[in-house]
Amino acid sequence: MFVGPRMKRDLVTVTPGATLEEAARLLTAHRIHHLPVVEEGNRLAGIVSDTDLRNATLDGMFRGADSGDSGRPVTVAEIMTRELVTLSPGDTLDDAMLILSGQRIGALPVVEGERLVGIVTKADILSALLSTLDIEGLGVRIEVVLPREMKEVARLAAVLADQDVEVRSLVIAPHGADGYAAFVRVATIDVASVRSRLRTKGFTVGELSDFYEGG
Amino acid sequence: MAFDTTRVGGFGEPLPERDILEGFDRLIAADRLFGADLDSSTIKKSGKGTPFLVRRHPSHHRMLALWRDLFANRVLPQGLLDALAPEVLGLAHGGGLLLFGKDRVLYDCDIVRGNEGVGHLTLSFYREREPVFRFLPFPRRPGRRIVYIEGISLLAQSTGYASSLFRHYERLFHDLGFHRFRLKASLSVGKYYWAKEGFDCEDRLQFREMRENLLALVRRLALPVEEQEVRRLNHASMVATFRRDLTIPVYRNADGYYATVRDASHAEEIRFPLGKAFLLCSDPWDGYKVIYTDTPRRTGLVWSEGYLGHESRPGHPESPKRLEALGSAIREEGMRESLIFLEPYVPAMEFLHAVHDPAYLEAFRGAAARGDRHFAVRDCAISQGSYEAALLAAGGVMAGIDAVLSGRSDNVFCAVRPPGHHAGRSTAMGFCFVNNVAAGARYARSAYGIGRVYILDWDVHHGNGTQALFDEDPLTFFCSLHEHPSFCYPGTGRRLERGRGAGLGATLNVPLAPHAGDREMIEAFEREVVPSIEAFRPELILLSAGFDAHRDDPIAGIECTEDAYVHMTRRVLELADRHCGGRVVSVLEGGYRTESLVSSAIAHIKTLQGREGSPCSSARG
Repeated sequence: MFVGPRMKRDLVTVTPGATLEEAARLLTAHRIHHLPVVEEGNRLAGIVSDTDLRNATLDGMFRGADSGDSGRPVTVAEIMTRELVTLSPGDTLDDAMLILSGQRIGALPVVEGERLVGIVTKADILSALLSTLDIEGLGVRIEVVLPREMKEVARLAAVLADQDVEVRSLVIAPHGADGYAAFVRVATIDVASVRSRLRTKGFTVGELSDFYEGG
Repeated sequence: MAFDTTRVGGFGEPLPERDILEGFDRLIAADRLFGADLDSSTIKKSGKGTPFLVRRHPSHHRMLALWRDLFANRVLPQGLLDALAPEVLGLAHGGGLLLFGKDRVLYDCDIVRGNEGVGHLTLSFYREREPVFRFLPFPRRPGRRIVYIEGISLLAQSTGYASSLFRHYERLFHDLGFHRFRLKASLSVGKYYWAKEGFDCEDRLQFREMRENLLALVRRLALPVEEQEVRRLNHASMVATFRRDLTIPVYRNADGYYATVRDASHAEEIRFPLGKAFLLCSDPWDGYKVIYTDTPRRTGLVWSEGYLGHESRPGHPESPKRLEALGSAIREEGMRESLIFLEPYVPAMEFLHAVHDPAYLEAFRGAAARGDRHFAVRDCAISQGSYEAALLAAGGVMAGIDAVLSGRSDNVFCAVRPPGHHAGRSTAMGFCFVNNVAAGARYARSAYGIGRVYILDWDVHHGNGTQALFDEDPLTFFCSLHEHPSFCYPGTGRRLERGRGAGLGATLNVPLAPHAGDREMIEAFEREVVPSIEAFRPELILLSAGFDAHRDDPIAGIECTEDAYVHMTRRVLELADRHCGGRVVSVLEGGYRTESLVSSAIAHIKTLQGREGSPCSSARG
């Protein structure tokens, strides 16, 4: 999955000369946390987040209490982050996830050359996950633990096909040293029959609590 | 509402048999107690009911046995005679006699104004014998106590006398533990009068015939009456008051009998409202009226053979056996005499279109008629009778709402299938086709003007269909207790789902973790559901009562017992008493292990009746 189709293209931005007040108003009005800062020609100059704004305001308040108003930042350019981690539309969502998780940041601007074309936030990643796992769709998840062999995965698929049950999603993840955990989302109220059929066929059908304990 | 049957009226503890025997002797000495032969070939004493011959009284031993069986020794012979003869509207009883037949006691008297006889009354008291096993005529056991109105005749028109007298009798016999009045409505005015007084046909076939005849009359006279209006009628009293806005001519003969067509003898034309006119001309019918249901609350039961017509494939959990088993358990638990049986009807399509897309219903009808094996999804197995059964299920809820809102019963349990709470405007899923509870809620609003309806859904699955239908409706509160959607079908019903738009806040989802038991369920119910009912102040409470959260039910992972259902039922009734006159209509949803479904539903019904104590004799196996 590439970043291009998943990124947000409809962007709210500010210019470096905008005041902090203007920036704060935009964040509130659009209920967002990050504002890319662009210069002429949509050239990305930096990013300002609600955290940056809060820190600047608190900082100014403390300094203001000590020594009057002098030195309090006025424009976005004074507080924005200039050292940016960016993506290009050809990067993948995996890249985005690894960066967001590893660098502990909330949003990644997407650029073509120097030109800003989109943004990917943690919320976008979450919604991609939701749709991959089909969590909003109707159905129930069954967790099956099986040996790490494709033959077993094929056997699982065959048992499900035999039962004529609608499988909404099927996610295979590593489990322990030599196993798979298969997360099967089925669209039937009679999930008990599906579970017991799988057990009859020798599969280990767990509950989510089993995975909690496994760490 | 709740009667304390041990205190009301002063008929409490059984009286000493010595006093009762002494009472017999006093009446015998005063020529007020005799025996009676009930035989149509013998000479009539008088009156128009069962002919009987007065003769010497039977042995004291037999009289006492009968007294014990009928009156539980809670009244003395003279006390009964006194209570039977109140002075009402200036009329009194003269020459009242008690007559002991083989299996019944009769009361026979003249109705007098001063010294002048103006009428006659004969009642008999007996006890039905019902088979212990459904299909075997024997053995039999004592069943309902009956007051049979053999006949009441008044020479002059005495407006309101019979109504007032029977209101007094209703109280009296309620306190004496009698279950029903019965009678044959055969006299001209009686056929209408008794229906208006709340009597219904004893025999459902006879009632259906009555309805068909009314329909035929409507058609013959080309009256502006919809067929569905007639089909909705399910009680003779509804016939009596039917379409008072329309009057039609009827023709009276010299004896005071009426006909709908003029002939040589029926010549005098009189105009009456449609329902009244129809009943005046109708065939005689056997009527009954519930006096007493053995229980503090009068609970109605909707059950119909029609629900068995929806068949699923072998091995399918939602099978007709569920309702067959529940029906036999109700019989075996001896609950028949304590429940008011209500007949479901096929509702007018306009009431169903309030919740379902007409094209969707039409597709469902077509699939069933074509002989498809399932509709929309594989879960929704169907047979040829599925469409009719589904309509009848929604109509069952409407019949329940009719009964509760007209006061015929305090609350109702609708033992219907197929279930409904997963069905959406155009979606069948999870064994559901027509959303019975949602259709009922809409019906209560459009037919009775009920404003705020609270729907509590304690089926183990989230009632996603009902929720979606009332998502934006602030007047219909939807609350669901269910197993958490990450573990359980259909995967909706998270806490964050709280309604939308104007309906924001009128949806409450309370998911329970897998393995939750009675304690967790009751805690969640008390903590969240009870305050939301209090705050909403409903005018009617509907229950989507599935019993599949039971620990023995394999379909999902909640592990509660009958105790949780009893607790929640009792609390819902208390809240209903406070806010909406006790009006609760409970509708069966899921429950797929027969034993736990039956024991839970029986415990639920008994609690609806206001019974305390252990949920069900068979609950613990």
